[in-house]
Amino acid sequence: MTQATSSTQQGPQEQSVAELPPNLGHWRQVWARFRRRKLAFASLMIVLFIYLLGIFAPVIQTHDYQDTNLAKTQQGPEWGGNWLGTDRLGRDIYTRVVWGIQTTVIITITTFITGSLFLGVTMGLVAGYFRGWIDAIIMRIGEVISAFPDILLIILLAATLRPRIVQLARDIEDSTGITGLVSSGIVDYVVIGIALLPLSWFGMMRLVRGQVLALREAEYVEAARAMGTSTPRILFRHILPNVVSPVIVSVSFGIGAIALSEVILSFFGLGVQPPRPSLGVMIGEVTARGGASVSVLRDHPEQLLTPIIVVWLLIFCWNIVGDAMNDVLNPRAR
Amino acid sequence: MRRIVIGMALSLVLVAAVACSGDGSATEAPALPTSTPPVARVTQAAIAPGLQDKEDAPPVASESGPATGGVFNTLWSDPPTMDPHLVTDGTSYGIVIEIFSGLVRLGADTSNPFEPDLAESWSVLEGGTVYEFKLRNDLKFSNGDPVTAQDFKWSFERAAHPDTASTVAEEFLGDIVGIQDIVDGNASSASGIEVVDERTLRLTIDAPKAYFIAKLTYPTAFVLNKNNVESLGRNWSDEPVSTGPFILKEYRIGQRIRLARNDNFWDRTAYLDEVVFNLAGGVSMAMYENDEIDITSVGLADLERVQDPTEEINKDLVEVPPNFAVSYVGFNMNEAPFDDANFRQALNHAVDKQLIADQVFSNLVKPAYGIIPPGFPGFSAEIKGLEFDAQLAKDLLAQSAYADPATRPRIILTVPGTGGSPGLTTEVIADMWRQNLGIEIEIQQVEWATYIQDLHRGRLQAWSGLSWQADYPDPQTFIDVLFRSTSAINYGGYANDQVDQYVVDAQTEQDATKRVEYYNNAEQIVISDAAWLPLWWGVDSKALVKPWVKDYQFSSLTIAKFKDVWIDK
Amino acid sequence: MLAYILRRLLWTPVLLLLAAFFVFFMGSVAPGDPAELRLGNRATPENIEKLREQMGLNDPLHMRYIRFIGNALQGDLGESYVFQGKKVTALIGPRLLVSLQLNIAAMLIALTVGLPLGFYAAKRQGTKTDPAIVISMLILYAMPVFFTAPFLILFFAVKLHWVPAAGWSGMFSTQVILPALTIGIPGAAIFVRHMRASTLEVIGQEYIRTAHAKGMSGFVVNYRHVARNALLPILTLLGFTLAGVFGGSLIVELIYGIPGVSRLSLDAIFQRDFPVLTAFVLLGSLMLVLANLVIDIAYTIVDPRIRLQ
Repeated sequence: MTQATSSTQQGPQEQSVAELPPNLGHWRQVWARFRRRKLAFASLMIVLFIYLLGIFAPVIQTHDYQDTNLAKTQQGPEWGGNWLGTDRLGRDIYTRVVWGIQTTVIITITTFITGSLFLGVTMGLVAGYFRGWIDAIIMRIGEVISAFPDILLIILLAATLRPRIVQLARDIEDSTGITGLVSSGIVDYVVIGIALLPLSWFGMMRLVRGQVLALREAEYVEAARAMGTSTPRILFRHILPNVVSPVIVSVSFGIGAIALSEVILSFFGLGVQPPRPSLGVMIGEVTARGGASVSVLRDHPEQLLTPIIVVWLLIFCWNIVGDAMNDVLNPRAR
Repeated sequence: MRRIVIGMALSLVLVAAVACSGDGSATEAPALPTSTPPVARVTQAAIAPGLQDKEDAPPVASESGPATGGVFNTLWSDPPTMDPHLVTDGTSYGIVIEIFSGLVRLGADTSNPFEPDLAESWSVLEGGTVYEFKLRNDLKFSNGDPVTAQDFKWSFERAAHPDTASTVAEEFLGDIVGIQDIVDGNASSASGIEVVDERTLRLTIDAPKAYFIAKLTYPTAFVLNKNNVESLGRNWSDEPVSTGPFILKEYRIGQRIRLARNDNFWDRTAYLDEVVFNLAGGVSMAMYENDEIDITSVGLADLERVQDPTEEINKDLVEVPPNFAVSYVGFNMNEAPFDDANFRQALNHAVDKQLIADQVFSNLVKPAYGIIPPGFPGFSAEIKGLEFDAQLAKDLLAQSAYADPATRPRIILTVPGTGGSPGLTTEVIADMWRQNLGIEIEIQQVEWATYIQDLHRGRLQAWSGLSWQADYPDPQTFIDVLFRSTSAINYGGYANDQVDQYVVDAQTEQDATKRVEYYNNAEQIVISDAAWLPLWWGVDSKALVKPWVKDYQFSSLTIAKFKDVWIDK
Repeated sequence: MLAYILRRLLWTPVLLLLAAFFVFFMGSVAPGDPAELRLGNRATPENIEKLREQMGLNDPLHMRYIRFIGNALQGDLGESYVFQGKKVTALIGPRLLVSLQLNIAAMLIALTVGLPLGFYAAKRQGTKTDPAIVISMLILYAMPVFFTAPFLILFFAVKLHWVPAAGWSGMFSTQVILPALTIGIPGAAIFVRHMRASTLEVIGQEYIRTAHAKGMSGFVVNYRHVARNALLPILTLLGFTLAGVFGGSLIVELIYGIPGVSRLSLDAIFQRDFPVLTAFVLLGSLMLVLANLVIDIAYTIVDPRIRLQ
C-alpha cells in the first residue's frame, strides 16, 4: 500500500495509485467488472440513450422546437401527434425536451472538457509535478474560489458576465461576418461554461495533483528521470495514464452536478435564451419561476414532469455509474 | 418604480413584466421590479387592480354589520423604505399609506379623486397660487401628540432637506415657493409655507397649477412627528409615530410586517386588529387554499380550476375590473430597423393579439389597440388600432427599407429575465413575426439591473416586459410623458412635432373636452406611427378573496385599503 | 500538524481579503448600477450622480475596498444599498439564523431516517431488502427539488391541510416540516450510505475478535473503527449543513417563502446590493475554510496514514 501524502484531497481514490501505467488488458478487466453490475450497466445505457436523444434531436424531433400553435395549446399526450402533449404556446413538449437534452449534452461535455480535463488536469499535473510556488499559487486561487458558496457564485458569474460576453460575440459576428454565434446559443454555452468553471476545475485539479505528488516519487518515474527523459514526456507518458482512473470516477460523479447547475441557471433566466429550449428553461417557464409549480403539478403534470424526469434520471444514473466506476477502478476502496 | 410626473396630476407605475408573465398575471411581477425574488407574490399591483368593487365584489351585506377584531393576512414584498418622504415605489407606498397620511387623499371613485384627509377643507386663493388648508379639530398622532399646522411645515421642509435625501421631494413639493432653495441646500425654511394658526396652513406655489393638490396625496407630503424622527435618527421609521388608520407594530425584514389599529385615527378606527404582510413569499395559491392568506390573485396555471363552478374555490372568485395599465413592446426609433415606420407597422399587424389573449392567457388580459386603457379618463373607442392582418403586414414589410433579410440589421428584443417570467408573450410574438413575416429575432433576457440601465441609456433596440400603470386619473402621463419628444420616459426616442404640439396645447387647455381631444389626436398619431406594439390593458382581472373578508376595496389607485375591511368568521 | 493548522489559520485572513476583493471587482465590472436601480425611472443623470456620490460609489475601486476593509476590521460591514439605512450585519444575522435552523431541522430528519435505515439495510445484506433500500434512497437522492417541493406542498398542505404551505416562524413551528423534509430527504440518502457502509465494516471485521483474544486492549483495537464510525456522520453532517446554509437551500427558500440567507444573497446579486453580498461571501468563506480545516484534522484521526503537510 502506497502512502498518500496529500492533505487536501481525500477519499478512496488516493489509495489506488498503480505502480505502472495500466495497459489495455487492465481496461478490459475493468469493463468486464463493470458489466457484471447490472444496475450500473443499465444506468450507463440509460445515460447513453438520453445523450443520443440529445445528439440526434434534429433528426428525431417531430416538430420545430420554436413552432407555436395557438390552436393546440396545453394539450395532453396524443398518439401520432404531440405524443407528450403541448405547452401553453402549443409547442411540442417531446421536441422541446430532446432539444433541451441537447443543451444538457453540450453543456456537460464542454464543461467537462474545458473545466475538468483541460484546466483541471493540466493544472493538477503542473502543480503536483513542479510543486513550489506554482503549486502554491494554483492552490490558493482554487481555495479562494472554492470558499465561495457554489450555486450563488455560479449565478453571480452568469448574471454579471453574460451581457459582456454576449456583446463581445455580437461584435465578433458583426466584424467578421460569422453568423449564428448568438442565435444558435453558442454564446449561452460559453457563458454557462465559464460560470460553471469554478465548480468543475478545482476538484479535478486537487485530485490530479494528489496523484502526481504520490507518483513523482514512484520508482519508475524516478528511473525515467534518471535516464534523462524530458519533463513533458514524464508527465504525459508516465504520469498521465495513471491519473485516468480517478479522473473517470470524479467526472462521472461531477456531471450530474453540472447538469443540475445548468438547469438552475436557466431556471433563473441566466442560462440558455428562448426560444431555444433547455430543461431548466422548460421548468422555469412552466412553473413561472417556481410560483406556479404547485398548480402546474396539479393541473398539467406532464408539462412539469417531462423535463423533471429527464433531469432526475440523468442525475440518478450518473450517480450509479460514478459509484460503480469507483468500485471497479479502485478495488481496494470500500 | 413609481413616478408622478411633473406637469400634471398623474403618476404612473412602471411595472415589470406584467401581463406577459408565464403565469399570466402580476403575481409574478412585483410592483417593485427591483425587488425580484422569482417567486409568486401578491403585490400591490396584483391585489389592487381595478376601480372599485362594484357589482362583482364579494357580498358585503351582513345581518350583523361590521365587527371589530380579526387579522387580515396577505403576501407582500420587502418595502425598500418605510419613510414616507423617501417612497418612490409601489411596494413601499402600499404599506406607508396604511400607516401615514397627509392633508388630502385619493378617493376610490375616479370621478371625485381628491378627498379631505387630515385637512377638513381647503380653499384656493389668489387665482390659484395660494392654497389654504383647514386642519380637522383635535387631530392626534398615534402617540397622542396633537397634529398642528406647524407639524406640516416641519414635515415638508424635512422632506426637502438634502440630509433627508429624498429623490422625490423636488418633484412633489417643488412647486411651493422656497422649497427649491431647501433642496439645493441654500435654506432651511420655505417662505411659501405659512402657519396661520394651529389649524390653518397656507401654501403658496409659484404659478397656478391645477395638479398641485394631487401631488399632496403622495407620501412625500405626509406629516411626520418631529420628536419621533429627530430622537430616533436614521432608523426612526422602525418605530414610527403616525396619523394613518394603522400603526406599525412589527417589522422583521424579509419576514413580516404587522400593522395594528391606530386608536388615535381621526376617523372611525379600523375594524381589524391586525394586518399581516407576509414578506417571505411562497406559492400564493397553495397558501390561499391552505388558509394562510386571505387574498390572492389568480395566475394562469390556476385559472381553469378556479373558473370551474363545481370547484369549491370558485365561490371565492372575484372579477376585478382591469386596472389602468398598458403593457407593450417598445421600439428604439433611433436605431435601424425601427427608424422605419413601415417596418414597425408591419410588426404590429403581424401579431394576433386576440388569439394570444384567448389561447395563451385565457383572456386574463385584454388586447390593447390604443394607449389609454378603457374606463380611464380620456379613453376613446374611436382610436383606430393596428389590427392583425398578415397580408397587410407582408405588404408593409415589402415597402419598408428593410424588406431584404440579407441587409436587415440584427434585431434584439430584450426582456427583464429575472423576477418576472417574461418568456411566453415574447416567445409567441417572436414566433408570429417569424411565421408571418419571416423575420428572425434574438430574444435576450437580462437581469432587471442591467435592463433598467440599458433602458435609461437608450441602449435597447426593442424591449418588452414593461407596462405603465396610472395612479391618478388623467390622460396626460400616458400620452405626454411617454411620447413627448423631450420626455425622459420616452425611452424609444419617439419624436413627432404634431404630437408635441398637441400635448403642449393640452397642458394649458381649460376646456376638458377639448383637452381630451388633443390627447386622443396625439394618441392616434402615435398608434398609426407604430411607436409601440401595445400588448395588453389591465393585468390581472381575477382574484380570490376568502368569504369571511368583508368590504375589501379593489382600487386601481394606491389608497388605504384596510381601514374598512372587517372579518366575519 | 500544529504548524500545519497554524499555517492554515494564518492564511485565512488573506483568503478572506481576496474573496472580498473578488466581490468588489465583480461589483465594479457588473452592468447595472445600484444607484440607478434605486431611482428607477426617476433616474436622471443628475439624480444618479447625486445618489452615487451619497452612496460612495464614485470613489475608485481600491479606495472603496480599503475603506471597506478598514470598517470591517472594526466590525462594521457597511450599509445595504437596497434597504436604506440598514446595517448589513443586521440584515444578514437574522437570515443566517433562519437558514441555520432550517438546515438543522433538515439534518435531524435526515439523521432519524437515515441512520436506522442504513443500519437495517446492512443487517439485511444478502436479502432483497438491502438493495431495495439502497436503490430507493439513491432515487430520492437524485430527486430534483423542483419536483419535491411542489409535490410536498400539493399533497400535505393543499390536499390534506396537515401543515402550512409556506412561511417561517422558527424551528419549532409546523411551517418548518415541509422545507426540512425537502432538504432532509437527500440528506437521509447520504446517511443511509454512510451508516450502511460503517455497519458492514464493523460486522466484517472478524479480526477484531481475534485481536481481543490475543489480549490487546479494546481501545487500541477499536480506535480506528470507532473513530471512523463516529466521525464520518458528524463530518457529513457538518458539510451538509454548511452547504445548505450557504446557498444550498436556495430553491427551497424560494419556493417555501423562507427568509433565509441564500434568498437574501440571491436578491443581493440581482439588485446589485454588493455590501450584503460581500458580507455573505466573507461569512460563507470563513465558515467553509474552518470547516475544511476541521475535516482535514478529523481525517488524520480517522486514518493516520494521512499526514498533514
